[in-house]
Amino acid sequence: MQRLNGGAKLVSAVVLSGAVLLAAETRKEFHFTVGARPTVSVTNQYGSVSVKPATANQVTVTAILRSDKVEIDKGQSGNRVDLLSHLLDGANAENGRVDYELAVPSDASVILSSTSGPLRAEGLHGDVTLEGANTNVDVREISDAHVHVKTLNGPITLTNIRDGHVEITSVSGNITLHSVSGPHVQVNSNSGWIRYDGDFGYGGEYYLSSHTGDIDATAPQDASIDITARSVRGKVENDFPLQPKHTPFVVKAGSAFAGTMNRAASSVKLFSFSGKIHLKKR
Amino acid sequence: MTGARKPQGDGLSEAEAIERAKQGDAEAFEVLYNLHKRRVYSLCLRMTANTAEAEDLSQEAFLQLFRKIGTFRGESAFSTWLHRMAVNVVLMRLRKKGLSVVPLEETMETDEESPKKEPGAQDPSLAGAVDRLELQRAVEALPPGYRTIFVLHDIEGFEHNEIADMVGCSIGNSKSQLHKARMKLRDSLRTSRAAKAEKP
Amino acid sequence: MTCAEFQQVLPEMLEGDRNTEHAAHLASCSACSDLISDLKAISEAARQLRALDEPSPRVWNSLEIELRREGLIRQPQREPALVPSRARRPWAWMVPVAAVLLVGFGIIVYQRGSDQQAEMAKNQAPVAPAVAVLPASNVSPSHRSDDDRQLLEAVGTRSPETRAQYAVDLNHVNAYIQDAEQSAQSDPNDEDAQQSLLNAYDQRAMLYQMALDRSLP
Repeated sequence: MQRLNGGAKLVSAVVLSGAVLLAAETRKEFHFTVGARPTVSVTNQYGSVSVKPATANQVTVTAILRSDKVEIDKGQSGNRVDLLSHLLDGANAENGRVDYELAVPSDASVILSSTSGPLRAEGLHGDVTLEGANTNVDVREISDAHVHVKTLNGPITLTNIRDGHVEITSVSGNITLHSVSGPHVQVNSNSGWIRYDGDFGYGGEYYLSSHTGDIDATAPQDASIDITARSVRGKVENDFPLQPKHTPFVVKAGSAFAGTMNRAASSVKLFSFSGKIHLKKR
Repeated sequence: MTGARKPQGDGLSEAEAIERAKQGDAEAFEVLYNLHKRRVYSLCLRMTANTAEAEDLSQEAFLQLFRKIGTFRGESAFSTWLHRMAVNVVLMRLRKKGLSVVPLEETMETDEESPKKEPGAQDPSLAGAVDRLELQRAVEALPPGYRTIFVLHDIEGFEHNEIADMVGCSIGNSKSQLHKARMKLRDSLRTSRAAKAEKP
Repeated sequence: MTCAEFQQVLPEMLEGDRNTEHAAHLASCSACSDLISDLKAISEAARQLRALDEPSPRVWNSLEIELRREGLIRQPQREPALVPSRARRPWAWMVPVAAVLLVGFGIIVYQRGSDQQAEMAKNQAPVAPAVAVLPASNVSPSHRSDDDRQLLEAVGTRSPETRAQYAVDLNHVNAYIQDAEQSAQSDPNDEDAQQSLLNAYDQRAMLYQMALDRSLP
């Protein structure tokens, strides 16, 4: 009897706590009808924001709120939709968490921020602006748009960005650019490393710089670039036979190199204070 | 971070924003900026074909406008006022840089860079369909004088008499340069389409 | 009517000045009717280029700083009505600090000289050369450490971990500034060092903006 009682208590405790969790966690869905090229902004405090393309001229938002310590303020003003996680008294990183999933028209511009939660955007051809303090960032399949990322920490990955106007600033996040090209690609890192793997497009300006982080750039043999690389206190290494160019740039074996490949259509500059720089053959 | 932001422009009409901006209200300025930023920036970008310059000029246009917002009485549309201001800011910059904003009068002009083609001679017709991005690139590649007139008339919707006034040319000149700009765009769109068609 | 004659009157015709002779030529000549439909399509597609592009967030950031500097914005940033009063930010003082940080930095670059550098600074940070009246000492190392201490105290009210993380990041950023400053001083013609100094200050401004939670447009 005693044992049965104990078992019953345990079961009821499990059922109860499950019920409490279920009651506390809520799922909300919002729909906004928008016109061409809308702007969608999500300001989250804790939790993830993920954006995918949808065909209809509609913004669909699914949000999981971890508790009633957090609310969502939402608003639409013309072609702009704003969502904001709004913390109430007693909220913390756990119970104040909201996870957002959005489906937006593919021509939408999105502005996403979260202090500590992954940010992800894919399949858009509108501008993407992402910001967060300790935030993983994953951006893929974006074309003909500005992609601006600002974080303090957390890895940043950009994949398949075409005709992009890319600007990344991060203090200690590691940055990976895979098949990223466009008229302007600028990465400003501090202690995080930068890895670029792509063909540097045709006719763009690429500027990858760090303080102490290493910079690796991997390109195919037919990349058309005019490159300068320099590390003030670190080493530089180059796997390509570059054509020398007339330049005031001081080429110093081991710490700087410069030259061109093929038609030198894109300008590439790699610079670090103490990180290692390596231009690799794919 | 607990400091939350209110969604911008929530419930504030343009007229209210103008009145509040006159009182020095930060949010009102931001609302006005957000309402018009794309139009102004795109205008600057089309006319200069340079992102950094367009950003700089947009900032200048808004700044000039906000400095004078106290004098705005509401009898004319705010957007008209702003767009005129933006055009003037851009034209002044172009003139400063020594770029021609007034297209050449058409008399005796020999168009050596694009020899006259017989219509439909080689490249395919556009078949009445023009891709926005292709057109954007073609506009960027126009010589500055043609670009100015095309942007002001076909993109921004100004009338020839307004353009003549702003740019400082004759109405006839504005009309004929617009036609030439469209013809140049057609040539370049057809050429790029033909080049694309050749690729596998 | 030949194609050449037709093309001569084309501009007027597109403005609506059309007669039977024009219509007859159009009906019989596919090249000219293609031309007309192409020109119309170009003109129609042009409307789509209006308001097509979104400016970078830095345009508003610089504009706001300038509006505050000129006194056109005459009040502190409004608190959203929906936010409970406890969420009011005790670190509101950082707004002018962040602005001065950017402005002061602009002066250094501006004073250093060349048009190209000033242009770079304008592109990189919200700075207008007209602000050269403020003293450059706003960004001296001693001011930096004072500002940093206050920033860490403010973020420390949220959690010790947040404070620790910001302290690490600030160290990184300040080390970067120091390296870039030394390089730029030892060789004033070193463009890489100048650009790195801009980058380092960009990071510092970003860090302050994040602490302020007001960095998005």
